Amino acid sequence: MRLQRAWYAIRGRAYPRTVGAAREPSWIFYDLALPILGVFAFVFVYRALDAPAQFTSYVIMGGATIAFWMNVMWNMAAQFYWEKHQGNLELYMMAPCGLVPILLGMAWGGMLATTVRAAVVVAVGILLFKAPLAVSSWPLFVLIFTLGLIALYGLGMFFSSLFLLWGREAWHMVSLLQEPVYLVSGFYFPVRALGLWVGMAASIIPITLALDGLRQVMFPSFHPGLLPVRWEVLGLAALAVLFVVLALRMLRFMERLARQEGRLSFRW
Amino acid sequence: MVARAVRTARVGFWVGWQVQSNWTDPFLFFVYSVARPLGGTLILVFMFFVVAGGRHGPMLDFFVVGAALWPTVVWAMQGLAWGLLEDREHFKTIAYIYTAPIPFWAYLVGRGLASAVVAMPATLLTLIAGIALLRVPIILPLDHIPYLVAAFGLGVVGLLAIGMTTVGLLFLISGEAWRLPEAMGQALYLLCGAVFPITVLPGWLEPAARLLPVTYWLEAMRRVFLPADAVRSFPGMGDGPLLGTLLLVTAIWAAIAALAYAAGLTRARQKGILDFSTGY
Repeated sequence: MRLQRAWYAIRGRAYPRTVGAAREPSWIFYDLALPILGVFAFVFVYRALDAPAQFTSYVIMGGATIAFWMNVMWNMAAQFYWEKHQGNLELYMMAPCGLVPILLGMAWGGMLATTVRAAVVVAVGILLFKAPLAVSSWPLFVLIFTLGLIALYGLGMFFSSLFLLWGREAWHMVSLLQEPVYLVSGFYFPVRALGLWVGMAASIIPITLALDGLRQVMFPSFHPGLLPVRWEVLGLAALAVLFVVLALRMLRFMERLARQEGRLSFRW
Repeated sequence: MVARAVRTARVGFWVGWQVQSNWTDPFLFFVYSVARPLGGTLILVFMFFVVAGGRHGPMLDFFVVGAALWPTVVWAMQGLAWGLLEDREHFKTIAYIYTAPIPFWAYLVGRGLASAVVAMPATLLTLIAGIALLRVPIILPLDHIPYLVAAFGLGVVGLLAIGMTTVGLLFLISGEAWRLPEAMGQALYLLCGAVFPITVLPGWLEPAARLLPVTYWLEAMRRVFLPADAVRSFPGMGDGPLLGTLLLVTAIWAAIAALAYAAGLTRARQKGILDFSTGY
């Protein structure tokens, strides 16, 4: 019974992210246009530098990854902030399913919709810029991609718990986690360029290892990897478990704290 | 009329500053206001070094000055638009502000200027770090100061004009209005030669870059700060004609902004959607 309720909640919350979102063409336009515009700009930066064609592929992959990062940060982590303002958070709290299935529904819907959008970004990039993209091992590619997504959306769930307690402060923090994250995770260049230890420290963000692993699979002879792919897969698996467990614990903790301090419906 | 507009802009500036900054202590706010722009600059620096193999070059100078000025571009333009959206959607105060005996546009200009000021520390810090750490040959001879003041002033007016044009559109846009200013910012980043000379753009896109005041403003600022042999977006244009073109394009955008604002506002009032909250 409890599992069935959770399943309904997951399906219900995933619906607006997949089927519902398709009814709002402006969402699709912005979700595609923003990463594509960013990709164009950075491709032209490399062109101005006369960089090899593989760098164009780096940028296209970075642009596609931005779609995921933005989805996780704004539509997972910060989602409870919007829900507070619209009065939905209280309804979620009263629903007999708990917050976790609702977050899982958001994550599932977000993953599906964003994967489609990221694929469009990659396709547009390849078609317009003739970027070389070849996968040397599809099973490894799929494994890294899947583990990366689980870890990333686990991180999003972890961050979302902060919004149960805080408002504007947490919103600004999410806003802050854009260019600095693009930098340390090597969205537009190999993360190894930052040095081994900076790259290792940045690996706490799942995108760092996922992006580096995918690039190693795609450009085995060109890409200077941070770690051997095997280790990166293990690291991603560990991060996936860590963030999911941490998110579940943090949600419980922050919910209790927010109830105690009466800040659950505190909008600002 | 002018005195009232200035007074309103001052109050709008104060409100904007409070909204931007009073959520935390000054130190954390400083870190917040410089972290994103510095992150953006360092991305370009590492992209350069990955390709150039650690060597310096004129493109690095181009990147640093463009990246330093970019926060002012994007925050002035977006600040104005977000001022409207925050009051309409978030704080739900637009009806009270609009019905007050003040010129509403001046209030929004104040909000935009507050955002531009928030960007200033990042601009200064990036330029200083460029000189100190990356050995970018940034200089400011005294005889360049009048040119700097004129170009900077025109640039800010141009940015506010683009922001006000966006506001004209936002009056009429419902769902996802929050993302329009961001999309405008991204489009400007691509087109205005912020991080690469516009000569790199495909032929069909370059004319669009030439229609934007920001393109001329960034070029003028680079001519103020960088030596004469630096990479340029308009290599064949002298400093005087560049300033003249900036003046002309800014004037055209100011006229477009006035029309877009008036048309958007009138239509929104006719449709009764001026304070129509659309969710997030």
